[in-house]
Amino acid sequence: MKYRVDANLKTELKKFGSKDWNECYHCGNCTAVCPLTENNFLFPRKSIRQAQMGLKTKLASNLDPWLCYFCGDCSKTCPRNANPGEIMMTLRRYMTSVYDWTGLSKKFYTSKTWEIAFIAVMFIAIIAVFGVFLPPARDIISNASKYIDPVSGGVLINSLVPGLEGHQFVKIIEIGDLSMAGIVAALLISNIFRMFYFTIIRDKSVRVPFYTYFTQAWQLLFNFISQPKFSKCDNKQYWFGHFLLMSGYVIMFTVIVALLPKFQVEEVFPWYNWQRILGYYATFGLLFFIIYSIIGRIRRNEIKFKFSHASDWLFLIMLGLTTVTGILIHFFRIGGLPVATYIIYVIHLAVLVPMILIEVPFSKWSHLAYRPFAVYFSKLKKAAYKLQTQQSELSTAA
Amino acid sequence: MADNNVGLCIFSSGLQSGFHFDLKEVKLFASEIKEVKIIWELADGKTIKSDKLTEQIKSLSIDKVIIAGDYPGEVKTLFNHAAVKCGIKEENVLLADFSVYAHLNGKSTQMAKMLLMSLIKGYDPETFFVPEEVEVNTATLVIGGGIAGIQASLEIANGGNKVYLLEKTGTIGGHMAMFDKTFPTLDCAACILTPKMVEVGQHQNIEILTYSELIGLSGSAGNYMAKIHKKARRVNLATCIGCGTCTEKCPAKSSSEFDSGTSLRKAIYIPFPQAVPNKYLIDAEHCTYVQSGKCRVCEKVCPVPDCINLDEKDTEIEIEIGNIVVATGFKLFDSTRTSQFGYGKFPNVLTSLELERLINAAGPTGGNITFRTQDKKGNQIFEQGSGEPKSVAIIHCVGSRDENYNKYCSKVCCMYSLKLAHLVKEKLPEAKVFEYYIDMRAFGKGYEEFYQRIKAEGINIIRGRTATVQEKNGHLLLRSEDILNERIIEQEVDMVVLAAGLEPHEDSGKIAELLGLQTTSDGWFSERNFVFDPVGTFTGGITVAGVCQGPKDIPDTVAQASAAAAKVLQSIVKSKISKGVKSLSFSEIQAQIG
Repeated sequence: MKYRVDANLKTELKKFGSKDWNECYHCGNCTAVCPLTENNFLFPRKSIRQAQMGLKTKLASNLDPWLCYFCGDCSKTCPRNANPGEIMMTLRRYMTSVYDWTGLSKKFYTSKTWEIAFIAVMFIAIIAVFGVFLPPARDIISNASKYIDPVSGGVLINSLVPGLEGHQFVKIIEIGDLSMAGIVAALLISNIFRMFYFTIIRDKSVRVPFYTYFTQAWQLLFNFISQPKFSKCDNKQYWFGHFLLMSGYVIMFTVIVALLPKFQVEEVFPWYNWQRILGYYATFGLLFFIIYSIIGRIRRNEIKFKFSHASDWLFLIMLGLTTVTGILIHFFRIGGLPVATYIIYVIHLAVLVPMILIEVPFSKWSHLAYRPFAVYFSKLKKAAYKLQTQQSELSTAA
Repeated sequence: MADNNVGLCIFSSGLQSGFHFDLKEVKLFASEIKEVKIIWELADGKTIKSDKLTEQIKSLSIDKVIIAGDYPGEVKTLFNHAAVKCGIKEENVLLADFSVYAHLNGKSTQMAKMLLMSLIKGYDPETFFVPEEVEVNTATLVIGGGIAGIQASLEIANGGNKVYLLEKTGTIGGHMAMFDKTFPTLDCAACILTPKMVEVGQHQNIEILTYSELIGLSGSAGNYMAKIHKKARRVNLATCIGCGTCTEKCPAKSSSEFDSGTSLRKAIYIPFPQAVPNKYLIDAEHCTYVQSGKCRVCEKVCPVPDCINLDEKDTEIEIEIGNIVVATGFKLFDSTRTSQFGYGKFPNVLTSLELERLINAAGPTGGNITFRTQDKKGNQIFEQGSGEPKSVAIIHCVGSRDENYNKYCSKVCCMYSLKLAHLVKEKLPEAKVFEYYIDMRAFGKGYEEFYQRIKAEGINIIRGRTATVQEKNGHLLLRSEDILNERIIEQEVDMVVLAAGLEPHEDSGKIAELLGLQTTSDGWFSERNFVFDPVGTFTGGITVAGVCQGPKDIPDTVAQASAAAAKVLQSIVKSKISKGVKSLSFSEIQAQIG
């Protein structure tokens, strides 16, 4: 197969993070120290080579960046200080933009203006929607006690908008939630199909045996839930920290999208109720990870925090704001402050919606789909390579 | 030209990564010189329009243009065109290339200023190195008794001049005496070195000062006074007959420097059988009598009366000399720093120098490659009969070309590794030999041919430096990427040899301070001009030779030593010597130029 060399690839990649693509002199140290690398999936060096040589097509068919979890061992021992771990991180950003057919991912990654403008527009739009269509009752300040549950003393959060029954208000929010989830899922699924096309269909060097698509399918859910590959890195703390964040996020997302009518209710549950326990666990997971990452990125105390792309900071800020506003809603509600509750509730949604719309299909959080799929695809390729060697052995024997 | 109106361009190409000049300071300095009428600051990608330039040159009636910076030649064309348009001759568009001073630690900006000042005032900066007539003392001090020092001493002494050859250890010979063979010719190192050592020892013009160190220097180029500290040898050099009775009876042991720690020697010892001078000496640090006041066994058994004087004290002498050749050589990179290879942790991880001694027929095992064992007292040594490895792996670039240790290439490791692989294969024809390299640097006459020859001998040469060495089932497990075959390999071997790089001798900092030499950031001595004066220094009457100036192999070292000798002889024959800039302070240079 012929490959075209794109001399400008390195310049293009610089916008995605790693600045120096010429440092590497290919000693092979990074690949050999990596506990995750295996034959046919040799990283990070091979990916660096493809980037250096401008092999765009080969890079697009490369699953390796998604199989790396950035423990930093390679960067620590690299004799050229080329920071291969950071290069893999940059390639993951680049891959996300390659899979994305809308071109928005590339815009958000390479231009802060685009990203911030999108967030600002969404933020204002959501506040406007609530201001115009769902304004709170006029007597919410003068007659605050009307909106407080006399038994528990908590704010009746679904009854602040006049003319709407509690369940109607929740229904509106739920429709909004589900349509957001629908848009995100549609984008992500279409991008996964592109990923599949680039890495499996277009890669003529492998012919995947059909049955493996089914026999390996369990990898998807298994890897999504527990990141077994990540846990093979030498530093197990990273896996644990990530697991806290991931489980917290998945719980929160499920609760606010799929189980909203059960979650956003007027009643203030006692602390031991499952809704509250799940909520506290998720909040703790998110908060722990956010604080840990912000401190790390300021101090640059670990290899993976040495370099911060604009998208890394924006992600942390958005997630941090979402979490903090979420916590505030909770306390304002329990504290019986209807005005504050409603304002913060609107701000919470105005931060949350653009965050999900940017991060999940176009940016950092798309890895929630790409990583399990990359593991799945790599297993398919592995099966194909195995078959190939068997066949070639047979033919040589014959 | 009466006015001498100078237009100065300060250019930074951004090409040189280790560029240590404070260009702001240079600009400030230049702006205070009255001849400088205008300063253009250009950089790679930041240029000036030719029309504007011409206009400025005309309006300020500039008659000389100086382009200063790193690689100033890049923008010379631009100024040439403008100059010609304004009627300035092309000879008056001058370059001040700072990059030649880039390696000078700390003093680079000062040198750049000096160069700039000289050009502005119309002086050639090379005038400071033009030899002046002084009465040059014909004696020369050569510091370091390795192959560089030996060669330089012989060249100068054969020219009929007195040489003091200063050596820190008990014998001359240096590292080359420890080697088994030399690459690429596979000559026996001892066979070609020892005749030279003997020649030095017997030369009437050479006085060897072993077990001695330089501690002070005064005077100026052509007439130096060197203060030398002579450590007490405790054995009379004149009367010792070298019989060896003392060594036999001596109870104290220490690890042998000559055998690179692979064997033990006594506290009274001769470094190796071919040592020059071939006389015994006492290692005070390990001598039972010196340390505890009891023993005196050697004194009792010595057949020569009054030969051993256990209470001898260190002395200091002063010698007058005209020139100094610095040939302090190198020390091997400390492989314990690269913990991933397990040196010092796993007994059968060796340094290249240790293997060199094992292979040598005069080494601790009589030329057999064996495993490291422990003696009764727990010392790690090599002995005959402790088992032979069935497979040996050599890891290249240990401590070299590595930002975590030394950035530079040590130049000799690829070739000596190939040589060691060949020698292992010669001693153990059944053994498998692996070489893990990053780039194979076979750079010299006959070297590439040597590489191809070794390849053909059935050595497994793998592209991809080993990342880790671990112990598994009593073997050593190497994990590497086999780059050319696109796979990860985990290889079990019995012995790992680390091709450790070269570092400046531990005393080179002290020597640099005593002699006022510049060093690079890596610690190698700086030559005056990398291309045209590779042996001269910025200090008059002092030359450098061999590895102390930068990693190099034996042929290059010998060539440089001869070159240094030529420079010394030139000054003696003509009785002319350049003072160098060391003797002039910056203000003096300024005063000289006016």
